[in-house]
Amino acid sequence: MKAPSIIATFMLLLLAGCAGTPFLAPRAPPQPAAPSPSPSPSPAVIPPTTAAAAQPSELAAPPSTAPVAPPQAAAPPIAGAPPAATLPNPSAAKAAGSTVTAAAKPPAPAAQLPKAASPTTDIAKPKTPPLDLTSLEQRLKSTNAIGVLTKLTLKNQVDDLLDKFRAYYQGKLKTTLADLRRSYDLLVQKVLALLQDSDPPLATDIVASREPIWGILSDPKKFATI
Amino acid sequence: MSIRIAGLAITLFAAVSIATSSLAADDASVKKDLFTVITLQGLPCGEVVSYTTKNDNDHVVVCKDGNRYHVYVNAQGRVVVEKQ
Repeated sequence: MKAPSIIATFMLLLLAGCAGTPFLAPRAPPQPAAPSPSPSPSPAVIPPTTAAAAQPSELAAPPSTAPVAPPQAAAPPIAGAPPAATLPNPSAAKAAGSTVTAAAKPPAPAAQLPKAASPTTDIAKPKTPPLDLTSLEQRLKSTNAIGVLTKLTLKNQVDDLLDKFRAYYQGKLKTTLADLRRSYDLLVQKVLALLQDSDPPLATDIVASREPIWGILSDPKKFATI
Repeated sequence: MSIRIAGLAITLFAAVSIATSSLAADDASVKKDLFTVITLQGLPCGEVVSYTTKNDNDHVVVCKDGNRYHVYVNAQGRVVVEKQ
């Protein structure tokens, strides 16, 4: 019994809010899809935006009687963009209705750009996976994708390559870092060829760790810590 | 009585089938392992046709192309592939 009365009160408040914003009507002319007189306040912002702005416009209608910018600025980007455009409108709308919409568009993307850019940078940061050699080694040992003898063979080849690096940094082996890189790439490709069909996640992680591992191998100081 | 015998026969057949399939899977995985080891050493072997296990980690492998290899782990823990 209470729900209908609450809804009715809310609807009345909405209507009262719409009725209290006749001064926003001049913004209506640029909008073509507003045949009824009541939608005049918010629709001024609707044309530049898309159909998704219909809900924000309804939400913005009641508070539009007062300067609503602060609360809407805190609102999500979709709802925040139109109100930001409505603020400069009163001054500019009187000058030219069409230019209002044109002027209203730039501020909205400008306000959204920083918000959109920050999440991408936040997402980009965690993409760099931390190198966990111990975990990779353990996973290589425990994977069923490679047989025991094959694992032992690969371990021998890894040890041989590490010996080459050691000799290279000690000046005992006359080779170049490019040659060592070739050997390293070949060994990684062998491992990947063995893993890619039977243990794709491990293969993917090894691919991701390929350059970080080379960064350790190719740096004498880091290599000495191994 | 005949029902019991039939049940026993089915159980035995299932057990033998499972054991055979698991042995075949083991055999295939060992062949694959040996083939990979030989290939990683850069030696030719189209396919491992058969192998004879002499000891733990000690096999004589016959390849499809006619090559025979002795694959074993030496005292230093290295996998050695010797052509025979």
